[in-house]
Amino acid sequence: MPPLLSFFLRRILSIPISLLIITAILYSFMMMTPAEERASLYFPANMAHMTEEQMVRYTELIIERHHLRAPFPVQYGEWLIHLVSGDWGWSPTLQGDVLAYLLRRTSVTIELTLYTLLFFIPLGVLSGVLSALHRGQRFDRIFRGTSFTATSLPPFVAALLLMAFFYVSLHWFPPERLGIQSSLMVGTDQFIPYTGLMTLDGLLNGRPEISLDALRHLVLPVVSLSLFYWATLGRVARVTMLEELNKEYVIAARARGIPERRVIWRHVFRNVLAPSLTSSALMAASLFTGAFVIERVFNLKGISEMAMSLISVPDAPACLGFAIYSVIIVLVIMLVLDTAQAMLDPRLRQGLLST
Amino acid sequence: MQRVTPVNQKFEPQPVALQRHFFRRWQNVFALILVLFFVLVALAADVLAPNQDIFWPSDLQWADDPLGALPHPPNRQTLLGTVVARMHRQVDIYTVLVHGTRSAFRFSLMVVLPTAFIGILVGALSAFFGGVLNMAVLRVIDALMALPVIVGVFFINQLLLYSKGDASVIPTIGVIRHAPIAPWLSSLLERVDPVMLALVLFSWMPYARLTNTMVLRTRQTDYVEAARALGANSGRLLWNHVLPNSISPTIILLARDLGGMVVLQATLTFIGLGGGSDWGWVLAISRNWMVGTFADLVAHWWLFLPPILALVMFGVSWNLLGDGLNDWLNPRGA
Repeated sequence: MPPLLSFFLRRILSIPISLLIITAILYSFMMMTPAEERASLYFPANMAHMTEEQMVRYTELIIERHHLRAPFPVQYGEWLIHLVSGDWGWSPTLQGDVLAYLLRRTSVTIELTLYTLLFFIPLGVLSGVLSALHRGQRFDRIFRGTSFTATSLPPFVAALLLMAFFYVSLHWFPPERLGIQSSLMVGTDQFIPYTGLMTLDGLLNGRPEISLDALRHLVLPVVSLSLFYWATLGRVARVTMLEELNKEYVIAARARGIPERRVIWRHVFRNVLAPSLTSSALMAASLFTGAFVIERVFNLKGISEMAMSLISVPDAPACLGFAIYSVIIVLVIMLVLDTAQAMLDPRLRQGLLST
Repeated sequence: MQRVTPVNQKFEPQPVALQRHFFRRWQNVFALILVLFFVLVALAADVLAPNQDIFWPSDLQWADDPLGALPHPPNRQTLLGTVVARMHRQVDIYTVLVHGTRSAFRFSLMVVLPTAFIGILVGALSAFFGGVLNMAVLRVIDALMALPVIVGVFFINQLLLYSKGDASVIPTIGVIRHAPIAPWLSSLLERVDPVMLALVLFSWMPYARLTNTMVLRTRQTDYVEAARALGANSGRLLWNHVLPNSISPTIILLARDLGGMVVLQATLTFIGLGGGSDWGWVLAISRNWMVGTFADLVAHWWLFLPPILALVMFGVSWNLLGDGLNDWLNPRGA
């Protein structure tokens, strides 16, 4: 089996293990509620007609049926089986199936995160590399100044300022997901959401103006979310590039007469890509937090909207569902970035280099 | 004439090292000045803004604004102007900013110090006693790093909700009041700020990872082996020899986090998850005059520019300090 494939399989298998650890911890906290209260989750809608004694007997019946007094491993195992088979519980606040609710809103979050990754990773690496190549000159100084400001500017502040300038003053890039015209078109029956991502669905449905509109609405969220990560990645790339340029193989390549351009872009650049992606993989969880904040600021109807309705309301299944779902998203992002890293640097495929 | 490097340069006493390395870069001096400025503002908050009540007295009337529904630019009484929190309640921005420094410091210290303590403890102990335990702990830490902080905030919020008592409306799942833990612990948990608790519980992982790597490296050095051969027990080894030489990256992370936690607090307050950040709160209520129906960025400059400056400068100062410490403690060729 080629090492890249075995690396990918090993990383995919580590996702369930991480999930097991996290769900065990989260579920054990939720389990601390006494059984009677957890039984109330299974009550039907109208219970007013029951007397006190009937209520007690009904609660006991539910506790027996759902094993609410069984030891922790038994309850945890049952809950895991429900989770894997798609039954994530029913949320009293949202009045709906938790997983269905989450899936309906994922596409917005995925679209935002995907475009952010596609935007800041190439730009960040390129800025860092170019800055290292022109060390001390104007580009480097500009980059270092702006990247420092960007790392200190919280995403919501950047979002507010950009929105105030580009939307309120200039009316170039509006917030929310689609304009009025496009959302009317999307709401009709003729529009089939193949992927859920508006930018792709517009093209797939033969209506490129919807894609363009979605892109136009995405500009501000993506830019304000990317700012921080672009700056961090750029700085890491710059330092890595400076270190690589001092290595001996560069001197050897130059001594052999290889043109400078080829030395830099074909040899040194490849070695810079992998360590840069390491820092991105570590920031995957913080990227989710950032996406959450940006969704709230721009009023995009992603997962964050479901979460905000849960703030002061006791709703254990929805909260657990949200937590596990976001962990899955973060783990998938980490998997993608790690695989991309392994594709770029063969030393990582067999664990020869500690990242 | 070339400057000859003295042979015993690494035995320089600390004050000379500070002067030679730390204060040479202007960024470090700038960072230190900024940090000291914020500390002074926080300590002297009562003197700088003697009016403790952030709400401007409701009997004050403006001629062109009898309802008190418009924000007002800086004038003689309100140094940085006011913004409207709700009808008839104008908030004096200057007082909020000055007292906000106190709440920022309180929050960041109360979050970062326990976080660093837990992280260093877990990382150092597991690395010191090594082996399979260390691998298992590292695996758990890596798994926990996939949990975003905001999800942790929601989760802890959910845990700390107390039972509503009446079972008529929504089924109540209040955990802490009924959990099988000691009553003093449950009453303590009911009073702690959920955001603070969540940040402490879900941010200690980087510290543990860093300390783990450093302790693993320090554990194998000669001087530790020599100390062990001389009869030092594990505790003495850990405290006197291993730890002092392995916490320098953690100190850098701590300095950066002191700024980062305040920024995170402002972000959470802005979206409405709590956290008690005054700066974030001011930005949240000024939002309508920045992007919204009455938006006018230039005319309402006092609404957002001072809070944003305060927040960003706070983050910048601690970031720069962390960078300076990084430069000083881990010198690199580049």
